[in-house]
Amino acid sequence: MEHHLMWNWPMIVYLFLAGLGAGALAVSGIVVLWGPAGEFRHRAALVARLGAFIGPLPVIIGTILLIYELGRPFRALNLFTSNLWFMVFNPSPMNWGSWFILLFCIFATVYALTFIPWEALLSGERGKRLEARAERMRSPMAVICVPLAIAMAIYTAILLAAIPARPLWHTPVLWLLFTVSAISTGLSAIILVQRFMFRKPGAVRGAVRREDPAFRVSEYYLVSMKVLLIIAELVVIGLFIMFAHMTINSANFAVQVLLPGGELATTFWVGVILVGLLIPAFIEGFYLLRTAVLGHEFEWPYVINVSAPIAILFGGLMLRYVIVVGGQITGPIGI
Amino acid sequence: MSDNSDRPVSRRRFLKRVGQGAATVATAGVAGGAMHAAATKPAADVEQRNEVQYGMLIDLRRCIGCQACTVACKAEADVPMGVARSWVEYVEKGRYPNAGRSFLPRLCNHCSEPHCVRVCPTGATYERPQDGLIVIDQGVCIGCLYCAHACPYDMRFLNPVTRFADKCDMCIHRVSQGLVPSCVNTCQGRARVFGDVNDPNSEIHKLIARNPVSVMRETYGTQPNVYYIGLDTTDENTKKPGQYVRVTTNKAKSPKRT
Repeated sequence: MEHHLMWNWPMIVYLFLAGLGAGALAVSGIVVLWGPAGEFRHRAALVARLGAFIGPLPVIIGTILLIYELGRPFRALNLFTSNLWFMVFNPSPMNWGSWFILLFCIFATVYALTFIPWEALLSGERGKRLEARAERMRSPMAVICVPLAIAMAIYTAILLAAIPARPLWHTPVLWLLFTVSAISTGLSAIILVQRFMFRKPGAVRGAVRREDPAFRVSEYYLVSMKVLLIIAELVVIGLFIMFAHMTINSANFAVQVLLPGGELATTFWVGVILVGLLIPAFIEGFYLLRTAVLGHEFEWPYVINVSAPIAILFGGLMLRYVIVVGGQITGPIGI
Repeated sequence: MSDNSDRPVSRRRFLKRVGQGAATVATAGVAGGAMHAAATKPAADVEQRNEVQYGMLIDLRRCIGCQACTVACKAEADVPMGVARSWVEYVEKGRYPNAGRSFLPRLCNHCSEPHCVRVCPTGATYERPQDGLIVIDQGVCIGCLYCAHACPYDMRFLNPVTRFADKCDMCIHRVSQGLVPSCVNTCQGRARVFGDVNDPNSEIHKLIARNPVSVMRETYGTQPNVYYIGLDTTDENTKKPGQYVRVTTNKAKSPKRT
């Protein structure tokens, strides 16, 4: 059936990228604030650095996509002027979401700047001074960035969930689903990038060597965290479907597009559940259990190594697609 | 419609009050006090709703489905090709030999609790204080279509020419001059009645008082101001087993957003 979609791919990609950036920044900030010391110190610093560099980019790209989609880009400034000129509080989630985006882009960029190796880039006193200042700024910026990133992730869901006329979106579980998905895609992006960096045996980045036992152990912890997030996401998806299915009226009719026989059932069960969650969980779970139960070294083929995070990123995009499209092709029932 | 003192304060009034609060505390330099000042105002002075609330009553027993209102609206508001502000749906229902077809004219409900106004991120869409109509300020709208999603009646669309949100404005250029909207003016069966639903002497008020009227999707709590006589709320999803229902919306499809 042909449907007219008012919010299409730019919106879907934006929701995905905003979640990814927010998730990566949240992971980075949490590692900076509560990260491990001792032999894992350098490894944690690398994760934090990658997360900080990944953080602002997708959000900025996604925002540009959205503004481009409007047709008259400069009109987007109206989002801010009505608050500023008339000093009014606008309860629209899109209004305070646009303020979140603005703050996020500013603070995430500043936070990313504190991770640039200034001393190596600029020689002499100036590099040293900047490096010291960046080190001092890092933790305070992380304190700002972690709540901001989580707010960003939640906002992308509240934007949709605020609308009673879209029964599939209007559920109190959606923010949890999008937040868990955001952190899991953000973490996957970090893991993916560093796997590209440490592709060859003997690769060295900063103070981290691929052959370090610390590298392997921390990789093990990161992947465990990711599998836990996947399980959490499966639980939340289960709750999401259950809430809608147990509702009597429009939400029940709306969720039928995701259930077997529905229009988006294949995309949802194959794209989101199977490819995006179950297959990476089983592959990574297999290697995790091999280490945890049998005591093997945590080592795996490179192809699987990079394809698992790519599958999770794909699943995150498909989740946004299914929710955004599914909400629009269903509606209130009864005249 | 008579007793409306217990209704919650509308967003517009809320914003106004917050604005007043901001103005009073701005001199003291306490920006955070704006919300506080609005929140601690005693609830006793919650203002009454609009004195004048324009609305429409559509007597479905008199509608013949001629689409004259659709055409009149299209001509009056210069609505571009492919979209429509108003249309007439055909509802076929029943089981042979007890089958029938009824007509359902559709237009913006100009709700008293509009979801579209609540979600507008720029304040471009608002409720007119003088007559309670919901309008869009085309100079402020950014065309995000958040309002189009929020409307439970699917009345809003992207105007392909201006690229902003658009919808029925109850012909404010006509009604502010004392005329009736174009669709009311042209209605062949005199199925549409326009007027101030709060005025006890108006025709629409009397008709609402004397007839069993209903509104569309009342459970959404939007408090629509377009009333129907003889509205059947059955559609394909809510029909009884064995019943045949087909709704032909006749609504023009919005062109693809490029």
